[in-house]
Amino acid sequence: MESFLPGTASLIDCVDKKLLVVLRDGRNLIGILRSYDQFANLVLQNTLERIIVNDCYGEKERGVFIIRGENVVLLGEVDKDKEQDGYPNLNKVSYEKIKELHEQEIKDKKARELQKQKILLERGFSEEFGDYDLY
Amino acid sequence: MADQEQPITNSVEEPLDLVRLSLDECIYVKMRGDRELKGRLHAYDQHLNMVLGDVEENITVVEFNEETNEEYIRKIQRAHDMLFVRGDGVILVSPPRRN
Amino acid sequence: MLFYSFFNTLIGHSVTVELKNDLTISGKLVSVDQFLNIKLNDIKVLDQQKYPHMDSVKSCFIRGSVVRYVSLSKDLVDTALLQDATRREAQQPK
Repeated sequence: MESFLPGTASLIDCVDKKLLVVLRDGRNLIGILRSYDQFANLVLQNTLERIIVNDCYGEKERGVFIIRGENVVLLGEVDKDKEQDGYPNLNKVSYEKIKELHEQEIKDKKARELQKQKILLERGFSEEFGDYDLY
Repeated sequence: MADQEQPITNSVEEPLDLVRLSLDECIYVKMRGDRELKGRLHAYDQHLNMVLGDVEENITVVEFNEETNEEYIRKIQRAHDMLFVRGDGVILVSPPRRN
Repeated sequence: MLFYSFFNTLIGHSVTVELKNDLTISGKLVSVDQFLNIKLNDIKVLDQQKYPHMDSVKSCFIRGSVVRYVSLSKDLVDTALLQDATRREAQQPK
């Protein structure tokens, strides 16, 4: 009998460490991983939510997050040497502003995708059933 | 008895048997995201996860010219030596043409 | 379990993972599990300009479900062995 591992390739090493979590909608969460399970459902503490749109970013303190695994793209271990407050090459804007930009970006992306699919459908490519992010 | 000694058959009883018979042959794979692959099939499983060798990937993209408001279609071609393909992106697999 | 075993043979080697959001990360494969979640070390993001949030990340865990491709070097793979293993797995009653 093959040994059945608990899944989520040794996230145990990441517990109690500061992590960057990238979500499917493009949001970034930075927080301390306190718990996880086999679906990569996560509990983050002292979470900072960051959104980047083009050359702008905004952030907000969020506290404790429980994240459903299916929305997780990746978890990154933050290198302390390279860690920085924000992004020097990007413009910092208010959270309200970046939220607005982010929503607009998603809307634009959806519209572009729809238009694109209409064209490609004529050439024998399949419809993506209204998904815009292809996950 | 004979069944046990001859486990690998060439009969096609279910769709994936057709994929099995394409092992070590060049196949065409249509993927989500307007991508197409051609490559030699080295491995697959029931999810249609695959490993392909000497892969030629074709991506179809639509671009807009903001000024003329025209859209045009562009093909991007990429090559991969050895590629693992996750099955959830696969739309269809076509075995090689047998003449 | 075929691909789980396959990726286990690649541990310690460099691979390039392309995600469904087009983010491409190369790095050394550290571990893999039965969902084909992947852990990479010493990562490098292709098109770093486009993904500034990845600058400070040196190792990462990628959820299997968001992977589109994993690109490998040819000499890491014994294709004859892989085809045999595939045939054996295909014969197994489900």
